[in-house]
Amino acid sequence: MKYISMILLAWMSITNQAAQDIYACKNTRISLYSSAPIEDIKAVSTVGVSVYNSSSDELDFSVPIRSFQFDKSLMQEHFNSDYMESDKYPRATFKGKIQEHIDVTKDGAYPVKVSGALSVHGVTQNRTIPGTISVKNGVISMTSEFMVKCTDHHIDIPQIVFHHIAESIQINVSATYSSYK
Amino acid sequence: MKKYFFLLAFLTTGTSLMAQKADSIKTNNSADSLLNSMNNDDKNAPVVIFKASRLVLSQSSETVKKNNLNFLIIHRFGDFAGKNGGGQIFFGLDAVADVYLGFEYGLTDNLNIDIGRTTIGGLADLELKYALLHQTGDNSSPLAITLIGEAGVRPYGSFVSTGDRVSYFAQAIFARKFSSDFSLQVAPSLVQNNTPIPLVPGSEQQFFALSAAGRLKVSKHMGIIVDYAHSFSSFHTGANDFSDPLGVGLEMITGGHVFTVNITNSRAIQEINYLSNTQSDFSRGQYRIGFTISRMFDFNHKETHKAEK
Repeated sequence: MKYISMILLAWMSITNQAAQDIYACKNTRISLYSSAPIEDIKAVSTVGVSVYNSSSDELDFSVPIRSFQFDKSLMQEHFNSDYMESDKYPRATFKGKIQEHIDVTKDGAYPVKVSGALSVHGVTQNRTIPGTISVKNGVISMTSEFMVKCTDHHIDIPQIVFHHIAESIQINVSATYSSYK
Repeated sequence: MKKYFFLLAFLTTGTSLMAQKADSIKTNNSADSLLNSMNNDDKNAPVVIFKASRLVLSQSSETVKKNNLNFLIIHRFGDFAGKNGGGQIFFGLDAVADVYLGFEYGLTDNLNIDIGRTTIGGLADLELKYALLHQTGDNSSPLAITLIGEAGVRPYGSFVSTGDRVSYFAQAIFARKFSSDFSLQVAPSLVQNNTPIPLVPGSEQQFFALSAAGRLKVSKHMGIIVDYAHSFSSFHTGANDFSDPLGVGLEMITGGHVFTVNITNSRAIQEINYLSNTQSDFSRGQYRIGFTISRMFDFNHKETHKAEK
């Protein structure tokens, strides 16, 4: 009986340890911003998902294009139908690997570079994106700011439209992770 | 001692298991499948079926969103050909068949209050438009249903009583976006004119009508619209010189504006008028150029802008 309980205890500790390598965030905040002549373009999504594997240093993101909320409903509609074609390309993803290995058991702020594939509007680009991973009291969080060029992802900017979108869009990402069980 | 041996044994196998698991994550990319399993697409998001609240003849199933104001200028020129058309009136461009000015305001995303005034009959209308059901991305709702209730009044002209100046229009729009390029709506409606239009013997106060309109996307910013209506009435027949209104239009979307150029046989713009009294016919050259300009004003901007900062 004692052995069985020990086996169980040992087994549980194993499975727990293994699961703790994977961290997930279901409410990643991703915002886009670009300054434009008539009015600034900006939108926020708070339903992006992210998975961080602290043993393999993999860091992945995925966000539904339709989840971006604009101030103006018409701008949001044009963003989806004309620029991002969210019916055809419903989500933007990034699948990357952190260049530096981070010891997530130690508190601190770690500047990192993440190399991987950024897929927006059905076009995938290899990018190395800078960011910061912080560990505070065992809670892992991540922030990043980078630019996306519309032409890199074949996003047309028709001259006829009223709401001009700048050629480069600033993206801000922030995620707070919890252990995935 | 034996106990500790077992514990040690299990812990060591544990570490090797852990390493294997980490390996399998790399090879099978389970982070990837985890990411996919966590994806929270809003499959119930309403599908945008039409690009504007107006097609050629009909109103579309789309409503103006909350705190948005849509300003409408709709114009129909004179007969292109036939005995009242031709070169001497520059193919109708010198004449005005009907002009409609209107405002559509979003009380909520689903409820609009609309006012407008049209040249024919001097008819002024007040309308409530309600999006009862939206088509959803996952087809849990395969179509959209929008209801329109409208009261029109003709303030000028001689009528026996004030009530005789009033007309009513009720419509249920059933719409579906079949593909990314093609949308269709079918709309049964009921017209009630307290004073029959036209006011001749046999003209009914009340009748049913059925409208159908489709939009085919030809480019990101352009679509072709075909719009047709038929009044079910023993009076509104070809024998009494009535025709079914039919319109074909090219819709151009330019950011805040939607601009539609169209050709219709109907002189009238307002539903009550064109369903009650379309006597102009394509075969007699009685078709005309028309246009619709829609300009959207959004009053959401400032409040949320401040809130963001």
